[in-house]
This record gives sequence, structure tokens and C-alpha cells, in this order.
Amino acid sequence: MKKSDKQPVIEAKGIYKAYNTDGLAVHALNGVDLTIKSGEFTAIAGPSGSGKTTLLNIIGGIDRPGKGDIHVAGSDLNTMNNRQLSDLRLYKIGFIFQAYNLIPVLTAIENVEYILLLQGVDKTERRHRSEAILREVGLDKEINRRPGDMSGGQQQRVAVARAMVSEPELILADEPTANLDQKTGSALLDLMKELNRKRGTTFLFSTHDSMVMKRADRLINLSDGKIAGGRKR
Amino acid sequence: MILYIKLAWRNIWRNKRRSLVVITSIGMGVFLMIITMSIVNGMNYQMIDNTISTSLGHVSIHKKGFIENIKPSYSFKPSPGIYEKIIRTGHVTGAASRIKIQGMVRSSEASQGVVITGIDPLKEKTVSELFKYMVEGQGEGYPDSTDREWIVISKQTAEKLDLVPGDRLVLMFQDADEQIVAESFYVRGIFVSPIDTFDKFTVFTGIKKLQSIAAMGSSISEISIRTETRNDAIGVCDTVKGFTADPGIETVTWQQMAPSMVSAIRLYDALMFIFFGIIFITVIFSVANTMIMAIMERFHEIGVMKCIGTRPLNIFIMITSEAINLGLAGMAAGLAASVILVEIFAYTGMDLSIFSESMRIWGTGSVIYPLLMIKDIVSSVIIVFMTAVISSIYPAIKAARIKPMEALNFL
Repeated sequence: MKKSDKQPVIEAKGIYKAYNTDGLAVHALNGVDLTIKSGEFTAIAGPSGSGKTTLLNIIGGIDRPGKGDIHVAGSDLNTMNNRQLSDLRLYKIGFIFQAYNLIPVLTAIENVEYILLLQGVDKTERRHRSEAILREVGLDKEINRRPGDMSGGQQQRVAVARAMVSEPELILADEPTANLDQKTGSALLDLMKELNRKRGTTFLFSTHDSMVMKRADRLINLSDGKIAGGRKR
Repeated sequence: MILYIKLAWRNIWRNKRRSLVVITSIGMGVFLMIITMSIVNGMNYQMIDNTISTSLGHVSIHKKGFIENIKPSYSFKPSPGIYEKIIRTGHVTGAASRIKIQGMVRSSEASQGVVITGIDPLKEKTVSELFKYMVEGQGEGYPDSTDREWIVISKQTAEKLDLVPGDRLVLMFQDADEQIVAESFYVRGIFVSPIDTFDKFTVFTGIKKLQSIAAMGSSISEISIRTETRNDAIGVCDTVKGFTADPGIETVTWQQMAPSMVSAIRLYDALMFIFFGIIFITVIFSVANTMIMAIMERFHEIGVMKCIGTRPLNIFIMITSEAINLGLAGMAAGLAASVILVEIFAYTGMDLSIFSESMRIWGTGSVIYPLLMIKDIVSSVIIVFMTAVISSIYPAIKAARIKPMEALNFL
């Protein structure tokens, strides 16, 4: 199947979002139209305040748009209640955060297993799949370490493993390399790219790092809450 | 579920000092609760036991109205063979006939109102512990006859009437024909029981001597029965009731003879629960405060958990489990410490002789042996569990309602 024939994972039309800050309306998104197809490796770039995180939050069902239609993995987010959105995030979307956001009291493998546990996967399979994905991200020797005992790069790899373990249709990553040094960030990006290639998982991440932009297959520039061009490789 | 319990256990150790303070406060609550309950149980047990072993017995057969009217006219002639029948009844360890008459004891110095109790010393040994309360070296000791003119008085009475063993005193009372009689006795021995009121108002003499002076013939006031345990009293009472056909005679247990003592014990229990209620209300606020602080510190983290698909119910379970874990840890510490201490004191006794006068008024004796009961442990477990659950409800609801969006922006 050619890339152009693939089903869209994300379809956003006319997305608006405004926040009320000290009585003033701040327009974070001003009519964003966006389609991301299955298997794409896309970066949303833009300066701070351009609306990257807001857009990712709306796509991830964490926030709701003020106006506009949004479909993710075949579901119309506007018609879903909080519980359905929670299930969508659990089964269809993997999240990678800038600050890793692992559960500090759980070990690497327990953090990864946590998602499968929420999905009701049985213990043996949970362990097997978690070990496999941690091996894939190069952390097979660190599985019993807690986040506090790991470097930033290692923690972000655990976060990638956590996001990937349930094989979601979409991975949303909000500035995943922002807290990492150049070398570690580059290695992480290689890893994400490799997982995208091998598994065909769709990646959408925000960044303002030019190195990251260069590695993306598709780049979308966001400025003042609007899409201001981009490129496709 | 297991993961949330594990998660909760690890979470409470993220701030060791704070958790230890909460665990200690819960532990102290449990410790105080168990220690207090055990001491009160021990006091109650000893109070009942002392009352039974001095005057009440476990079961009593007497004429209706006798308890309110301790007079020769409220006496009865026991049916032939009744004593043997009682002795052969299961769980009965002893039985003895007694005469009790309200009267007055006079010496050359003073006088005092008393209950004159006529006993058969040999049989009395099977129902009461008067023989244990005799002061050694004071007179001829525990009596051995039923028809001589001896009297045994308490140390308190001896001091008040300025009497020593060998001295003579006069007993005055109304006989069966309602005539005032007076008779001289010599003090054979002195006793000290653990009950103040008993000592103040009881004197003993031989049953046959008293029957003769009081013109009672072979009538007696009561048959006092001792059973193996106090719990056997009701069963024995039911059996023994069938031994007397006279409708004017009643057979009652110690609870029926001393309803005020039973009410006092119930009052103790009620007061204890009010006391524990106050302790645990303070614990509820302490745990709730800790949980709210813990949630505020982990606001972002809980938001992330919700963001990746954790349901509000799971968050609720996690927070509630944290409070329950704190409660159980505190309870384990409090229980262990209190059980050890109670067991030590149950063996050595708690010597409260510094308060001996007050203890004698309560009839407990000055050495208390704390008594730990399974029901107290069960109730403390339930109370702590409920406390932990109640204290965690508000914080857990608050945590379950955290909006992922707000939490992600909260750093």
C-alpha cells in the first residue's frame, strides 16, 4: 500500500481553542486543519506559545477543542465522554512527555507493565511483552531500576517503551528530547524512528529543536495557532 | 488491585518522616485503646470475681424479696437432699448454706450496722474465699465450728470498734419472732478482703449458733453456689431451679443479684467507646491531612496516570489503599506494643497500691491484671480500618477528580 492510500489516524478540521487568562482570551489555536496518516513520522514545529502542546493535548483527548471536528483512530472525540476518552488514551494512544513522567515508585518494567495491567493483560504476557520492549529500547539490564536511579535518557527510553508496549495506533510525544543533551536526544530519535519503521506506528511529536525537525519525515510549522506551512520528505 | 496496594505501600514511604508520624499517631491510638480496654477488662473481671468470691456466689437460692429484706423472716427450710443434688450438678464446684441478718455490732467503744452472716466454715470454703482473706497471726484464724460463739470481723471494723482478737463484742438484731436479741461473741479472727464495702458491713459467725439465737430452727437465708466459670452460672441456675417446688423461692444468677454492677460495667464500656471515638476522630483528621498533602505533592503525577488511561476508580483505590496501609502499619505497631505490654502486666500485675483505697472502693484489689479480649482486638482492627477508609474518602475523591489537563500544567 502506498503511503497516500493509508487511512488517516488523525483528522482535524477547523480546530479553535482559547484560554481565559486573567479575564483575557488567549487564542491558542486558530482554525487548525490537519490530517496524519497511519505510519507517518511527523514533527510539529514552532516557537513557544505557538500552540504545539495545545494541539497535541486536543489530539490526545486530554483537552477539548473550543470549536472544530477531531477524529483520532476512527473516533469522533467531540462525541466522547471522559470515560471513553480515557479508554481511547489507554488503548489507541501512547504518550511520551518532555519530563518523562514515569511513576517514581515503580521500576522500569513495572512502569511499562502498568499500561498492560490497565488493559487487563494477564501477568505472564505482561511480563513477556514488557521485557521484550525494554530489550528493544536497550534497557534489558535496567528493568528493575526505579526512575530515580536512571539517567534522563534512560528514563525517556522507558517512557518510549511504556508508550509502545500496548502497540497503540498513535504515539504523541511532547518535546521528547527537550530535557536531553544533543547526543542522547539524537539516539532517542533514532530509536523512535526505528520503532516507526519496524512497527509502522504513527508518531506525532512537537519540537523546536532543528535536529529533530530534520529527522522527521513530515514537518508541520505552527505559528500563532495556525499551520504556517511545512514539508514532506 | 495488587498493583495499587503495592503502589500505595511504596507511595507512603516516599516521605518517610511524615508517614512515620502518621503511623505513630495511629499506633499510639491503638496502643492506648488496647491498654485501656485491657486494664478496664481486668478491673471489671476482678471486681466481679471479688464480689462473687466474697458474698455473691455465682448462683443463689433464696426466698423472693430476700435481697431487699435481709431478715430472718425471709428465710426458708431447704428441701431434704437439695444440697447433694446441687453438688452433683455439672459445672458446680461448691455450695454452702448461709444465714444473713441485718443487725448491729457493738463494742465498749462504738457500734456499727452490719450484715451478720452465719456460715458453715467447711462448706463456705467451697463458695467463698474468706479463708484466703484471713490475716495471719491475728487470733485463731479461719473458724472450724458452726455452733460456738466466735465472730470474724474485718480489720476496718476492728479498728473502728477498737477490737483485737480475743475481745468480746455484742451482736444485736431482730430474730424470727421480730424480737430484739443481743448476744456476746469473742473475736476469733480478722479478715481483709479486696472490697471496701464488704469489709465495712460484714461479720461472720457460725450458722448453727446464729440459727439458735435468731430462733430460726433449721431455716437458712440462702444457698450460695459456685460454678466452674462465671459463664456456667446461667446453665446451672436453670438446672437448679428445678430442685425447688416452692413458688416463694427463687434461684438467680450473680447478674440478677447485682444488676447495678452489670450496669456499671456497661457504662464503662460505653465510656470507653466515647473515649476511643475522640481518639480516632483526631486520627481521622491527621490521616486526611497527610493524604491531602500527599495528593497535592503528586498532583502532576496523578494527572499523568489519568492521562495514560488510569480510571478515576483506580486512583480512588490507590489513595484509599495508602490510607489503609498507613492504618494497618500503625495498627500492627500499636497492637504489637500493647499486646506485649498487656501480656507482661497480665503476668506481673500492675501494682496500683498507691491508689489502694480507691481501688478497694471499686472492689478490684490494688493489683490489676490486664485482660486482653479477642473482641477488643477485633474492634480495634475494625475501628482503625474504618478510620483509615473514612479519612481517605475526601482526599481519594479529590484525587480521582483531578483533570489531566490541569495536572499536566501543574509543576
